[in-house]
Amino acid sequence: MSHAPFTFAGFRRGARDGVPLALSIFAYGLGFGLVAAQAGFGVTKAVATSAAIYSGSAQLAAVNLLQTGEATLLALFAAILVINARYLLFGAALQPWLWAAGPVRSYGSLLLLGDANWLLTMRRISEGEEDRAYLAGTGTPIALGWLSGTALGAAAVSILPRPEALGFDLMLACFAAAMMAAMTRRRADLVPVVVGAGAALVIARVIGPAAAVIGAGLAGGAVAAAMHRRAE
Amino acid sequence: MTESFPILLLVMAAAAFLCRVAGFTLMRVIPVSARLEAALRATPLAVMAGIAALAVQAGGLAEAIALGAVVGLTLVLRSDVAAALLGVVIVAALRWLGL
Repeated sequence: MSHAPFTFAGFRRGARDGVPLALSIFAYGLGFGLVAAQAGFGVTKAVATSAAIYSGSAQLAAVNLLQTGEATLLALFAAILVINARYLLFGAALQPWLWAAGPVRSYGSLLLLGDANWLLTMRRISEGEEDRAYLAGTGTPIALGWLSGTALGAAAVSILPRPEALGFDLMLACFAAAMMAAMTRRRADLVPVVVGAGAALVIARVIGPAAAVIGAGLAGGAVAAAMHRRAE
Repeated sequence: MTESFPILLLVMAAAAFLCRVAGFTLMRVIPVSARLEAALRATPLAVMAGIAALAVQAGGLAEAIALGAVVGLTLVLRSDVAAALLGVVIVAALRWLGL
């Protein structure tokens, strides 16, 4: 099989485009570090979590679950699967382009896949980017920003007194509310917001907070799918 | 939760990795329908709303005001990170006021 271009020049081009995004991801990392440390993670655990999951929203949900004290391994696995289900879409959209680089380079690049560099790479592909190393290039500064931000955020909390007085216990919910507001671009987006909030409240009462987050995601996705069919 | 942290980490990493590679791998077998796409896009939105709603339920008026302000600030400032950090400041101030 003849491979598509995968060169250092393409990697460097991607890395250059990724730097501005990396700065904002660094700020997110700082936020996650604060959340994780507030939940009792030290710097090492917080950074390890950022490296292992490498997805802000999934990590926030995982920390949220662990904080409830009733999280099981299955619940954690399911929560991340549900929240990161959008990566199925990202990967599927990249497949026709990326696969031409061969399996090792493709799967290796997917390790550095995130929301920000997926959008960036998809835009460049539509503009005719041929070098498959571009994706890994965009992902590298972003990953560095994410990990260094996490480390700094987690370290900051350990030197601050009484997180509740400073409002840090609400950091997770604040990030969730802000990301939700930023992601709501059309009126139709309000449906999963309402369904998710409603489902979470009901499930938290009936079953418990651990199931509530997963249930919210499933309910929101199901309603969006049902409404889409009606629109056709 | 009795499992050690490395095991937790392994399970979480496996789930995240599965999501990254599964869509890519399945692409050659299953075509992604527009309906599935709509569901996948709505899921994180619903999860974020769920987390915020649970925080209001567990907290009270101060938390509700702060999170409401975060939503408004995100739309005004066009920066979700800045809005989230301001939300923390707001809830700290409200608690200091005794709310």
